[in-house]
Amino acid sequence: MAAAALSWALRAARQVLPSPCPGQVRSYYVDWRMVRDFKRRKVAYEHADERLRINAIRKNAILPKELQEVADKEIAALPRDSCPVRIRNRCVLTSRPRGVKRRWRLSRIVFRHFADHAQMSGVQRAMW
Amino acid sequence: STSSMLSKQKDKSAASKDGSPEGAAKKQEDGAGTPKQQLLDIIGDMKVEVSYRKKLQQLKASESKKQAMAKLEGPDSEGSVPQGVTEDTQRGKPLNPELVKAASAVASSLPRNKKQTESELLAQLRRHEETTDQQKKGGIINIRNVISEMTIKRQSPAQRGTRTSRRISLQLDEDDKRLRRERSSALSMDSRSLKVGKRLNIFTKASTEPEHALETVSSPTIWDLEFAKEVAAVTAQPPRNGFEEMIQWTKEGIMWEFPIDNEVGMEDDAEFHEHIFLEKHLEGFPKEGPIRHFMELVICGLSKNPYLSVKQKVEHIEWFQKYFEEKKELLQEI
Repeated sequence: MAAAALSWALRAARQVLPSPCPGQVRSYYVDWRMVRDFKRRKVAYEHADERLRINAIRKNAILPKELQEVADKEIAALPRDSCPVRIRNRCVLTSRPRGVKRRWRLSRIVFRHFADHAQMSGVQRAMW
Repeated sequence: STSSMLSKQKDKSAASKDGSPEGAAKKQEDGAGTPKQQLLDIIGDMKVEVSYRKKLQQLKASESKKQAMAKLEGPDSEGSVPQGVTEDTQRGKPLNPELVKAASAVASSLPRNKKQTESELLAQLRRHEETTDQQKKGGIINIRNVISEMTIKRQSPAQRGTRTSRRISLQLDEDDKRLRRERSSALSMDSRSLKVGKRLNIFTKASTEPEHALETVSSPTIWDLEFAKEVAAVTAQPPRNGFEEMIQWTKEGIMWEFPIDNEVGMEDDAEFHEHIFLEKHLEGFPKEGPIRHFMELVICGLSKNPYLSVKQKVEHIEWFQKYFEEKKELLQEI
Protein backbone atom coordinates (compact mmCIF):
# COMPACT_ATOMS: atom_id res chain seq x y z
CA MET A 1 0.00 0.00 0.00
CA ALA A 2 2.61 2.46 1.05
CA ALA A 3 4.93 1.44 -1.80
CA ALA A 4 2.18 1.87 -4.38
CA ALA A 5 1.30 5.30 -3.06
CA LEU A 6 4.97 6.30 -3.14
CA SER A 7 5.44 5.17 -6.75
CA TRP A 8 2.27 7.01 -7.83
CA ALA A 9 3.53 10.15 -6.17
CA LEU A 10 6.89 9.79 -7.91
CA ARG A 11 5.26 9.36 -11.33
CA ALA A 12 3.08 12.40 -10.79
CA ALA A 13 6.10 14.44 -9.75
CA ARG A 14 8.03 13.32 -12.84
CA GLN A 15 5.28 14.55 -15.18
CA VAL A 16 5.46 17.96 -13.61
CA LEU A 17 9.16 18.31 -14.50
CA PRO A 18 9.43 19.66 -18.04
CA SER A 19 12.14 18.29 -20.33
CA PRO A 20 14.68 21.10 -20.42
CA CYS A 21 15.46 20.87 -24.15
CA PRO A 22 14.44 23.88 -26.24
CA GLY A 23 14.32 23.76 -30.04
CA GLN A 24 13.97 20.74 -32.30
CA VAL A 25 15.09 17.21 -31.64
CA ARG A 26 16.18 15.52 -34.87
CA SER A 27 16.57 11.78 -35.02
CA TYR A 28 17.26 11.46 -38.78
CA TYR A 29 19.60 12.82 -41.44
CA VAL A 30 18.13 15.50 -43.62
CA ASP A 31 18.69 13.71 -46.95
CA TRP A 32 20.62 10.86 -48.56
CA ARG A 33 23.43 13.13 -49.64
CA MET A 34 24.04 13.92 -45.99
CA VAL A 35 24.12 10.20 -45.19
CA ARG A 36 26.68 9.57 -47.92
CA ASP A 37 28.79 12.47 -46.69
CA PHE A 38 28.71 11.00 -43.18
CA LYS A 39 29.84 7.60 -44.54
CA ARG A 40 32.69 9.24 -46.42
CA ARG A 41 33.86 11.04 -43.28
CA LYS A 42 33.88 7.80 -41.31
CA VAL A 43 35.87 5.90 -43.94
CA ALA A 44 38.29 8.79 -44.42
CA TYR A 45 38.97 8.85 -40.69
CA GLU A 46 39.70 5.13 -40.66
CA HIS A 47 42.18 5.28 -43.53
CA ALA A 48 43.72 8.65 -42.72
CA ASP A 49 46.93 7.30 -41.14
CA GLU A 50 47.58 4.82 -43.95
CA ARG A 51 47.07 7.44 -46.60
CA LEU A 52 49.45 9.80 -44.84
CA ARG A 53 52.18 7.18 -44.67
CA ILE A 54 51.79 5.96 -48.26
CA ASN A 55 51.81 9.54 -49.48
CA ALA A 56 55.00 10.16 -47.51
CA ILE A 57 56.58 7.35 -49.52
CA ARG A 58 55.22 8.64 -52.81
CA LYS A 59 56.12 12.32 -52.49
CA ASN A 60 59.81 11.68 -52.03
CA ALA A 61 63.05 12.41 -53.78
CA ILE A 62 65.06 9.86 -51.81
CA LEU A 63 63.38 6.49 -52.26
CA PRO A 64 63.71 4.60 -55.57
CA LYS A 65 61.06 5.20 -58.20
CA GLU A 66 59.97 1.58 -58.39
CA LEU A 67 58.98 1.73 -54.74
CA GLN A 68 57.03 4.89 -55.39
CA GLU A 69 55.17 3.29 -58.31
CA VAL A 70 54.18 0.39 -56.09
CA ALA A 71 52.95 2.89 -53.47
CA ASP A 72 50.92 4.64 -56.19
CA LYS A 73 49.14 1.42 -56.99
CA GLU A 74 48.53 0.74 -53.31
CA ILE A 75 46.91 4.05 -52.63
CA ALA A 76 44.72 3.65 -55.72
CA ALA A 77 43.57 0.32 -54.33
CA LEU A 78 42.18 1.90 -51.17
CA PRO A 79 38.39 2.51 -51.12
CA ARG A 80 37.37 5.56 -53.05
CA ASP A 81 35.56 7.09 -50.10
CA SER A 82 38.72 7.12 -48.01
CA CYS A 83 40.14 10.24 -49.58
CA PRO A 84 39.36 13.45 -47.68
CA VAL A 85 38.80 15.40 -50.88
CA ARG A 86 35.40 13.79 -51.29
CA ILE A 87 34.10 15.28 -48.06
CA ARG A 88 31.85 18.29 -48.52
CA ASN A 89 31.14 20.62 -45.59
CA ARG A 90 27.38 20.66 -45.79
CA CYS A 91 25.01 22.67 -43.66
CA VAL A 92 24.20 20.71 -40.56
CA LEU A 93 20.51 21.58 -40.52
CA THR A 94 19.54 21.81 -44.18
CA SER A 95 22.33 19.85 -45.93
CA ARG A 96 22.98 22.77 -48.25
CA PRO A 97 26.35 22.23 -49.99
CA ARG A 98 27.04 25.86 -50.79
CA GLY A 99 27.08 29.03 -48.72
CA VAL A 100 28.11 27.26 -45.51
CA LYS A 101 30.08 29.17 -42.88
CA ARG A 102 32.71 26.90 -41.34
CA ARG A 103 32.58 28.30 -37.82
CA TRP A 104 28.91 27.54 -37.35
CA ARG A 105 28.53 24.68 -39.87
CA LEU A 106 25.31 26.36 -41.01
CA SER A 107 24.19 27.61 -44.38
CA ARG A 108 23.77 31.33 -44.81
CA ILE A 109 19.98 31.19 -44.76
CA VAL A 110 19.73 29.24 -41.51
CA PHE A 111 22.42 31.40 -39.98
CA ARG A 112 20.51 34.53 -40.83
CA HIS A 113 17.30 33.06 -39.48
CA PHE A 114 18.80 32.22 -36.11
CA ALA A 115 20.81 35.40 -35.83
CA ASP A 116 17.72 37.52 -36.42
CA HIS A 117 15.87 35.66 -33.69
CA ALA A 118 18.82 36.32 -31.34
CA GLN A 119 19.63 32.62 -31.02
CA MET A 120 23.25 32.90 -32.09
CA SER A 121 25.50 33.81 -29.20
CA GLY A 122 27.63 36.87 -29.86
CA VAL A 123 26.26 37.56 -33.34
CA GLN A 124 24.90 40.99 -34.05
CA ARG A 125 23.76 42.83 -37.17
CA ALA A 126 26.63 44.80 -38.59
CA MET A 127 26.31 48.53 -38.65
CA TRP A 128 29.18 50.93 -39.10
CA SER B 1 86.17 18.64 -34.42
CA THR B 2 83.54 19.59 -31.91
CA SER B 3 86.11 20.32 -29.26
CA SER B 4 88.06 22.60 -31.55
CA MET B 5 84.91 24.44 -32.55
CA LEU B 6 83.63 25.02 -29.08
CA SER B 7 86.72 25.34 -26.93
CA LYS B 8 87.45 28.96 -26.01
CA GLN B 9 89.44 28.56 -22.87
CA LYS B 10 90.21 31.45 -20.53
CA ASP B 11 92.74 31.80 -17.71
CA LYS B 12 90.43 30.71 -14.96
CA SER B 13 89.54 27.50 -16.67
CA ALA B 14 93.10 26.29 -16.33
CA ALA B 15 91.99 24.02 -13.54
CA SER B 16 89.19 22.60 -15.63
CA LYS B 17 91.62 22.07 -18.51
CA ASP B 18 93.45 19.53 -16.40
CA GLY B 19 90.23 17.96 -15.21
CA SER B 20 88.21 17.80 -18.41
CA PRO B 21 90.63 16.09 -20.81
CA GLU B 22 91.04 13.38 -18.21
CA GLY B 23 87.33 13.18 -17.84
CA ALA B 24 86.84 13.11 -21.60
CA ALA B 25 89.42 10.39 -21.96
CA LYS B 26 87.72 8.35 -19.25
CA LYS B 27 84.36 8.66 -20.92
CA GLN B 28 85.74 7.71 -24.28
CA GLU B 29 87.29 4.64 -22.73
CA ASP B 30 83.93 3.55 -21.32
CA GLY B 31 82.57 2.92 -24.80
CA ALA B 32 81.70 5.55 -27.34
CA GLY B 33 79.49 3.10 -29.20
CA THR B 34 76.14 4.03 -27.67
CA PRO B 35 74.65 7.34 -28.76
CA LYS B 36 74.18 8.36 -25.17
CA GLN B 37 77.89 8.04 -24.51
CA GLN B 38 78.55 10.07 -27.62
CA LEU B 39 76.23 12.76 -26.35
CA LEU B 40 77.95 12.79 -22.99
CA ASP B 41 81.29 13.06 -24.76
CA ILE B 42 80.07 16.04 -26.74
CA ILE B 43 78.81 17.74 -23.59
CA GLY B 44 82.07 17.04 -21.82
CA ASP B 45 84.03 18.50 -24.70
CA MET B 46 82.00 21.66 -24.77
CA LYS B 47 83.53 24.57 -22.91
CA VAL B 48 81.22 27.18 -21.51
CA GLU B 49 82.08 30.82 -22.24
CA VAL B 50 82.17 32.74 -19.00
CA SER B 51 81.75 36.50 -19.17
CA TYR B 52 84.12 38.74 -17.21
CA ARG B 53 81.46 40.02 -14.81
CA LYS B 54 80.32 36.54 -13.96
CA LYS B 55 83.91 35.52 -13.41
CA LEU B 56 84.38 38.34 -10.89
CA GLN B 57 81.21 37.37 -9.06
CA GLN B 58 82.24 33.76 -8.99
CA LEU B 59 85.70 34.72 -7.76
CA LYS B 60 84.15 36.68 -4.91
CA ALA B 61 81.77 33.87 -4.07
CA SER B 62 84.54 31.31 -4.08
CA GLU B 63 86.71 33.52 -1.84
CA SER B 64 83.92 34.03 0.65
CA LYS B 65 83.18 30.33 0.68
CA LYS B 66 86.83 29.51 1.21
CA GLN B 67 86.90 31.90 4.16
CA ALA B 68 83.79 30.31 5.59
CA MET B 69 85.22 26.87 5.14
CA ALA B 70 88.47 27.96 6.80
CA LYS B 71 86.52 29.33 9.77
CA LEU B 72 84.60 26.11 10.24
CA GLU B 73 86.31 23.24 11.98
CA GLY B 74 87.69 20.41 9.94
CA PRO B 75 85.13 17.71 10.78
CA ASP B 76 82.26 20.13 10.13
CA SER B 77 83.29 20.88 6.57
CA GLU B 78 83.82 17.22 5.86
CA GLY B 79 80.54 16.31 7.43
CA SER B 80 78.54 18.88 5.45
CA VAL B 81 79.07 17.14 2.12
CA PRO B 82 77.83 13.70 3.17
CA GLN B 83 75.02 15.37 5.11
CA GLY B 84 73.88 17.05 1.91
CA VAL B 85 74.08 13.73 0.11
CA THR B 86 71.95 11.96 2.71
CA GLU B 87 69.42 14.79 2.65
CA ASP B 88 69.15 14.47 -1.11
CA THR B 89 68.70 10.73 -1.03
CA GLN B 90 66.09 10.97 1.71
CA ARG B 91 63.90 13.24 -0.38
CA GLY B 92 61.32 11.44 -2.48
CA LYS B 93 62.21 8.93 -5.15
CA PRO B 94 65.70 8.75 -6.70
CA LEU B 95 66.38 10.44 -10.01
CA ASN B 96 66.79 8.69 -13.33
CA PRO B 97 70.40 7.46 -13.48
CA GLU B 98 70.66 8.68 -17.09
CA LEU B 99 69.67 12.17 -16.05
CA VAL B 100 72.21 12.01 -13.24
CA LYS B 101 74.91 11.03 -15.72
CA ALA B 102 73.93 13.88 -18.02
CA ALA B 103 73.99 16.32 -15.10
CA SER B 104 77.46 15.19 -14.07
CA ALA B 105 78.66 15.58 -17.64
CA VAL B 106 77.32 19.13 -17.82
CA ALA B 107 78.83 19.95 -14.44
CA SER B 108 82.22 18.74 -15.56
CA SER B 109 82.09 21.03 -18.59
CA LEU B 110 81.59 24.16 -16.46
CA PRO B 111 84.73 25.85 -15.13
CA ARG B 112 83.48 26.33 -11.56
CA ASN B 113 83.31 23.97 -8.57
CA LYS B 114 82.28 20.72 -10.20
CA LYS B 115 80.82 19.09 -7.10
CA GLN B 116 78.86 22.15 -6.18
CA THR B 117 77.43 22.66 -9.64
CA GLU B 118 76.59 18.99 -9.86
CA SER B 119 74.75 19.04 -6.55
CA GLU B 120 72.89 22.20 -7.55
CA LEU B 121 71.90 20.70 -10.90
CA LEU B 122 70.70 17.53 -9.24
CA ALA B 123 68.70 19.53 -6.71
CA GLN B 124 67.07 21.48 -9.54
CA LEU B 125 66.27 18.29 -11.43
CA ARG B 126 64.76 16.81 -8.32
CA ARG B 127 62.59 19.84 -7.73
CA HIS B 128 61.47 19.73 -11.37
CA GLU B 129 60.60 16.04 -11.04
CA GLU B 130 58.69 16.65 -7.83
CA THR B 131 56.58 19.40 -9.32
CA THR B 132 55.86 17.42 -12.49
CA ASP B 133 54.89 14.38 -10.43
CA GLN B 134 52.58 16.40 -8.24
CA GLN B 135 51.00 18.07 -11.22
CA LYS B 136 50.47 14.73 -12.90
CA LYS B 137 48.87 13.21 -9.82
CA GLY B 138 46.95 16.40 -9.20
CA GLY B 139 48.30 16.58 -5.68
CA ILE B 140 48.54 19.53 -3.38
CA ILE B 141 51.92 21.20 -3.56
CA ASN B 142 52.97 20.90 0.03
CA ILE B 143 54.63 24.16 0.94
CA ARG B 144 56.38 22.49 3.83
CA ASN B 145 58.45 20.39 1.45
CA VAL B 146 59.53 23.48 -0.40
CA ILE B 147 60.46 25.51 2.63
CA SER B 148 61.64 22.57 4.69
CA GLU B 149 64.92 24.26 5.51
CA MET B 150 63.20 27.06 7.40
CA THR B 151 62.40 26.44 11.06
CA ILE B 152 58.74 26.39 11.88
CA LYS B 153 57.73 28.10 15.10
CA ARG B 154 55.44 26.01 17.22
CA GLN B 155 54.07 28.54 19.71
CA SER B 156 53.05 31.99 18.57
CA PRO B 157 53.33 34.86 21.05
CA ALA B 158 49.62 35.61 20.53
CA GLN B 159 48.71 32.24 21.93
CA ARG B 160 50.94 32.81 24.92
CA GLY B 161 49.28 36.16 25.56
CA THR B 162 45.79 34.67 25.56
CA ARG B 163 46.84 31.86 27.81
CA THR B 164 48.28 34.21 30.39
CA SER B 165 45.17 36.37 30.23
CA ARG B 166 42.96 33.34 30.78
CA ARG B 167 45.06 32.31 33.73
CA ILE B 168 44.70 35.76 35.22
CA SER B 169 40.94 35.80 34.76
CA LEU B 170 40.51 32.34 36.25
CA GLN B 171 42.46 33.14 39.39
CA LEU B 172 39.18 33.85 41.13
CA ASP B 173 38.05 30.21 40.79
CA GLU B 174 39.20 27.45 43.00
CA ASP B 175 42.46 25.77 42.27
CA ASP B 176 40.97 22.51 40.97
CA LYS B 177 38.61 24.16 38.57
CA ARG B 178 41.31 26.54 37.35
CA LEU B 179 43.63 23.68 36.42
CA ARG B 180 40.93 21.83 34.51
CA ARG B 181 39.83 24.94 32.66
CA GLU B 182 43.41 25.74 31.69
CA ARG B 183 43.76 22.33 30.16
CA SER B 184 40.44 22.56 28.35
CA SER B 185 41.19 26.09 27.19
CA ALA B 186 44.57 24.95 25.89
CA LEU B 187 42.88 22.09 24.04
CA SER B 188 40.23 24.39 22.59
CA MET B 189 42.93 26.81 21.44
CA ASP B 190 44.70 23.98 19.66
CA SER B 191 41.50 22.57 18.23
CA ARG B 192 40.64 25.89 16.61
CA SER B 193 43.80 25.98 14.54
CA LEU B 194 43.70 26.51 10.79
CA LYS B 195 44.98 23.10 9.82
CA VAL B 196 42.08 21.20 11.35
CA GLY B 197 38.98 20.40 9.38
CA LYS B 198 37.99 19.08 6.00
CA ARG B 199 39.48 20.78 2.99
CA LEU B 200 37.11 22.50 0.61
CA ASN B 201 39.18 21.44 -2.43
CA ILE B 202 38.44 24.63 -4.30
CA PHE B 203 41.81 25.01 -5.95
CA THR B 204 42.87 21.40 -6.02
CA LYS B 205 41.38 18.46 -7.79
CA ALA B 206 38.95 16.85 -5.37
CA SER B 207 40.50 13.56 -4.35
CA THR B 208 37.98 10.73 -4.59
CA GLU B 209 38.34 9.40 -1.04
CA PRO B 210 35.70 6.90 -0.05
CA GLU B 211 34.57 8.33 3.22
CA HIS B 212 32.32 5.46 4.11
CA ALA B 213 32.84 1.84 3.17
CA LEU B 214 30.47 0.70 0.42
CA GLU B 215 28.18 -2.12 1.47
CA THR B 216 28.41 -4.98 -0.94
CA VAL B 217 25.00 -5.78 -2.40
CA SER B 218 24.55 -9.29 -3.70
CA SER B 219 22.81 -8.28 -6.93
CA PRO B 220 20.76 -5.11 -7.41
CA THR B 221 17.48 -6.20 -8.92
CA ILE B 222 15.83 -4.32 -11.75
CA TRP B 223 13.23 -3.03 -9.35
CA ASP B 224 15.91 -1.57 -7.13
CA LEU B 225 17.49 0.18 -10.08
CA GLU B 226 14.16 1.54 -11.22
CA PHE B 227 13.39 2.78 -7.74
CA ALA B 228 16.78 4.44 -7.50
CA LYS B 229 16.20 6.14 -10.85
CA GLU B 230 12.78 7.41 -9.78
CA VAL B 231 14.15 8.76 -6.53
CA ALA B 232 16.94 10.53 -8.36
CA ALA B 233 14.49 12.01 -10.86
CA VAL B 234 12.29 13.37 -8.08
CA THR B 235 15.05 14.71 -5.88
CA ALA B 236 16.71 16.43 -8.82
CA GLN B 237 14.64 19.60 -8.62
CA PRO B 238 15.10 22.14 -11.41
CA PRO B 239 17.91 24.55 -10.48
CA ARG B 240 16.77 27.47 -8.42
CA ASN B 241 19.45 29.84 -9.68
CA GLY B 242 22.33 30.16 -12.11
CA PHE B 243 24.84 28.63 -9.72
CA GLU B 244 22.88 25.41 -9.35
CA GLU B 245 22.42 25.25 -13.10
CA MET B 246 26.18 25.51 -13.57
CA ILE B 247 26.73 22.82 -10.93
CA GLN B 248 24.37 20.53 -12.80
CA TRP B 249 26.11 21.21 -16.09
CA THR B 250 29.51 20.50 -14.55
CA LYS B 251 28.23 17.16 -13.25
CA GLU B 252 26.88 16.25 -16.67
CA GLY B 253 30.14 17.25 -18.32
CA ILE B 254 28.77 20.14 -20.37
CA MET B 255 30.83 22.69 -18.46
CA TRP B 256 34.51 22.47 -17.71
CA GLU B 257 35.79 22.37 -14.17
CA PHE B 258 37.31 25.58 -12.81
CA PRO B 259 40.18 26.40 -12.30
CA ILE B 260 40.72 25.17 -15.83
CA ASP B 261 43.13 22.30 -16.11
CA ASN B 262 44.81 22.40 -19.49
CA GLU B 263 45.72 18.73 -19.35
CA VAL B 264 42.33 17.14 -18.85
CA GLY B 265 42.13 13.86 -20.72
CA MET B 266 45.78 14.07 -21.69
CA GLU B 267 47.74 11.43 -19.83
CA ASP B 268 51.15 11.30 -21.40
CA ASP B 269 53.38 9.59 -18.89
CA ALA B 270 56.42 9.63 -21.14
CA GLU B 271 59.48 11.77 -20.42
CA PHE B 272 60.70 14.36 -22.88
CA HIS B 273 63.63 12.27 -23.99
CA GLU B 274 61.31 9.47 -25.11
CA HIS B 275 59.66 11.86 -27.52
CA ILE B 276 62.81 13.31 -29.01
CA PHE B 277 65.43 10.56 -29.10
CA LEU B 278 63.69 8.02 -31.32
CA GLU B 279 66.79 6.49 -32.89
CA LYS B 280 66.51 3.35 -30.78
CA HIS B 281 63.37 2.40 -32.73
CA LEU B 282 65.39 2.44 -35.95
CA GLU B 283 67.15 -0.82 -35.19
CA GLY B 284 65.15 -2.90 -37.66
CA PHE B 285 66.24 -0.87 -40.64
CA PRO B 286 69.40 -1.22 -42.74
CA LYS B 287 72.13 1.11 -41.63
CA GLU B 288 72.88 2.68 -44.99
CA GLY B 289 70.97 3.51 -48.08
CA PRO B 290 67.97 5.58 -49.06
CA ILE B 291 65.62 3.83 -46.64
CA ARG B 292 67.74 4.83 -43.68
CA HIS B 293 67.92 8.39 -44.96
CA PHE B 294 64.15 8.45 -45.35
CA MET B 295 63.55 7.04 -41.87
CA GLU B 296 65.90 9.53 -40.29
CA LEU B 297 63.86 12.32 -41.86
CA VAL B 298 60.70 10.69 -40.52
CA ILE B 299 62.19 10.58 -37.05
CA CYS B 300 63.31 14.18 -37.26
CA GLY B 301 59.74 15.18 -38.10
CA LEU B 302 58.25 13.04 -35.33
CA SER B 303 60.58 14.47 -32.72
CA LYS B 304 59.25 17.93 -33.49
CA ASN B 305 55.63 16.84 -33.30
CA PRO B 306 54.00 17.78 -29.99
CA TYR B 307 50.58 16.43 -30.88
CA LEU B 308 51.28 12.71 -31.03
CA SER B 309 51.85 10.47 -28.06
CA VAL B 310 54.91 8.24 -27.82
CA LYS B 311 52.78 5.17 -28.64
CA GLN B 312 51.50 6.74 -31.83
CA LYS B 313 55.01 7.67 -32.89
CA VAL B 314 56.25 4.15 -32.27
CA GLU B 315 53.31 2.74 -34.24
CA HIS B 316 54.17 5.07 -37.11
CA ILE B 317 57.73 3.77 -37.24
CA GLU B 318 56.60 0.15 -36.92
CA TRP B 319 54.19 0.54 -39.83
CA PHE B 320 57.07 1.65 -42.01
CA GLN B 321 59.13 -1.27 -40.82
CA LYS B 322 56.39 -3.74 -41.80
CA TYR B 323 55.91 -2.02 -45.13
CA PHE B 324 59.56 -2.16 -46.07
CA GLU B 325 59.85 -5.77 -44.97
CA GLU B 326 57.01 -6.72 -47.26
CA LYS B 327 58.73 -4.96 -50.13
CA LYS B 328 62.11 -6.57 -49.43
CA GLU B 329 62.06 -8.69 -52.59
CA LEU B 330 61.31 -5.67 -54.71
CA LEU B 331 64.09 -3.73 -53.06
CA GLN B 332 66.61 -6.51 -53.60
CA GLU B 333 65.86 -6.52 -57.32
CA ILE B 334 66.90 -2.88 -57.47
